[in-house]
Amino acid sequence: MNLLEISDLTVRFGGLTAVNSVSLGIPSKQIVSIIGPNGAGKTTLFNAITGIYEPATGRICFGGGEACRPFRWTTALTLALIGIIAALSLVLIVNIESLWDTAITANYAYQQTFLWSKATGAVFSYFCEEPGRRVIIPFLIGALVGFAGAYAIWERSRRAPEVAARAGIARTFQNIRLFNQMIVLDNVLLGMDSRLRTRFWHAALRLPLYWRERQESEQSAMEILRFAGLDREAHQLAENLSYGHQRRLEIARALAMQPRLLLLDEPAAGMNPAEAQDLMKLIHDIRDRGITVLLIEHQMPVVMGISDRIAVLDHGEKIAEGTPKEVRNDSKVIEAYLGKDE
Amino acid sequence: MATRRTIPFHWSFLIVAALIPLIELAFPGNHHVGDLLRPIFIMAMLGLGLNILTGFTGLLNLGVAAFMAVGAYSYAILTCDIYPFRLGFWPATLATVLVGLTVGLFLGLPTIRLRGDYLAIVTLGFGEIVEDLLKNLDSITKGTQGINPLPSPSVFGYQFRSETYQPWYYLFLGFLAVLVLLNRNLLRSRIGRAWISIREDELASSCAGINPMKMKLLAFALGAAQCSLAGALWASYLGSSGEPGNYDFQVSIIALCMVIVGGMGSIGGVLLGALVIMGFNSIVLETLTNFLKAHQLINSSNAFTAPGNWKYMLYGLALILMMRFRPEGLLPSKQVKAELHPTEPHAPPSPPLP
Repeated sequence: MNLLEISDLTVRFGGLTAVNSVSLGIPSKQIVSIIGPNGAGKTTLFNAITGIYEPATGRICFGGGEACRPFRWTTALTLALIGIIAALSLVLIVNIESLWDTAITANYAYQQTFLWSKATGAVFSYFCEEPGRRVIIPFLIGALVGFAGAYAIWERSRRAPEVAARAGIARTFQNIRLFNQMIVLDNVLLGMDSRLRTRFWHAALRLPLYWRERQESEQSAMEILRFAGLDREAHQLAENLSYGHQRRLEIARALAMQPRLLLLDEPAAGMNPAEAQDLMKLIHDIRDRGITVLLIEHQMPVVMGISDRIAVLDHGEKIAEGTPKEVRNDSKVIEAYLGKDE
Repeated sequence: MATRRTIPFHWSFLIVAALIPLIELAFPGNHHVGDLLRPIFIMAMLGLGLNILTGFTGLLNLGVAAFMAVGAYSYAILTCDIYPFRLGFWPATLATVLVGLTVGLFLGLPTIRLRGDYLAIVTLGFGEIVEDLLKNLDSITKGTQGINPLPSPSVFGYQFRSETYQPWYYLFLGFLAVLVLLNRNLLRSRIGRAWISIREDELASSCAGINPMKMKLLAFALGAAQCSLAGALWASYLGSSGEPGNYDFQVSIIALCMVIVGGMGSIGGVLLGALVIMGFNSIVLETLTNFLKAHQLINSSNAFTAPGNWKYMLYGLALILMMRFRPEGLLPSKQVKAELHPTEPHAPPSPPLP
């Protein structure tokens, strides 16, 4: 069964169709490469998979389900709650000064006893005097605005990067995006954070769970750094690493998320042949750990050397798919790269 | 590798601060330093609140004075005799913190998708709105005169009096120490990491599984709560809510200056920034004015000769010089980062890969 199943995916930016009804299946525990000329829509495809772009049409199924926030009853409850709070706040805001006068100023003299029952009664009769203007209209407007606003925010965050990440899709970026002011170890730890059980109070009061998880996660972060060959740089700032090491650190951060699918966007860009060789070995090792790898790459020796399957995109459309050998001999691929023989 | 563990600046600051009144007691005389430090502690709390938002999370907030005002007025309304609530110090402070938390969430929710300059404009507007509200909700906030007098707090059965400053001093210092501890603990946990990652690169951090909305809301709520705690203590210190004009844009800017001068995202930096900026205002300028007056170098008819009137220009000059010569602040947070793992402060650069 395929781990990732993209069917009929289209992504548009205004009038530009960056990805045009692409269907692609990524089998589990394989290395699949996507190649194609510049502007073919490869990175756009990645961004759609990781939830950064909203596809115009099509489905992205990951591990049997779509990677988006499910609509549960708690969601409905939260939305309703926000609506009610907004409604009550608006009722309060609209009437605040007269409410204060009727409830507090009228019932309280300096240092005298204050009866809450009397104040509550005054508030009640104040609302009953003119219920339409004072309660019902602001309540309805507040409920509508609060509910609609919360729903809009929720709807827009449905297909968000963090949802895809938590489902098990990790990625690296074409232009390296590390947290430069954080040390290397923290960069990796951040990848693990979404799986920790430490909550606000554990961290604020440093409860035992915090210490235990801190020790465990630092240990496994060091293991991942060792795997990526970066353990000696663990305490340096990420921005002080060399270019090749930064690329590796990005992969290490993605691995720390314990993903099932790893998307690598041009990991060998800017590397010399020796570094690229090391990288190929690393990607192989990652695959051997049982992680499916989807790769965008321009360096043909790398692509041909490690891919189990290759898909070719051109102008947003998939023009070929198959084993490296099949793709190399495909006439459409040769045409896309070298132009048509006139 | 030799390990050299230095005491972080925020702890040495707190320890030295705790000793100052004792030193003053040991050497009787006409001292002012301890007395003058009290407002600095409160401003440092305001700075710590802002630091969570702007320093850690990178959300530029130009309206923290509004959070402080909310805190001061909530505390005043809950404790003052002219209102029926008349709570004690602890319940009123706790309620104020909760009010601040709520206000932070209310401001945070609709602005959750804003970033950078846009958020700065919204928070600037929020500050102005709160100030105007306080001026115009006459029956609740007593308009421009403010709510006063507030009863002096009584803590654990001890009634505070305005003549002796030491109890106030230790109360404020205690609150400051709690906030420093809280912020430090959060900074060195997954929460602080998430905040800093959002500051560095929001997209990358969400692709690593961090939910930026949740973490930003948390930053808003916590920052606002700390600022309003500062406001509550400020009100108890003044014995009045202060007038709405006390919480104007200038206060927000001073708080921002403290964070920038000290070093964005560095807890010790905020304390140092508060000490420098507020100390400059209340100690250096005061002393200079008194000195000049004593030697009759200034006359009151000429406003240009009073050093206090040059205050904001000097702040501006200080900021320009900071940005030119030390843009990362006096105590940059990189040191805080290096402190995280004091056993291996600087790993040697590794040899290039074969």
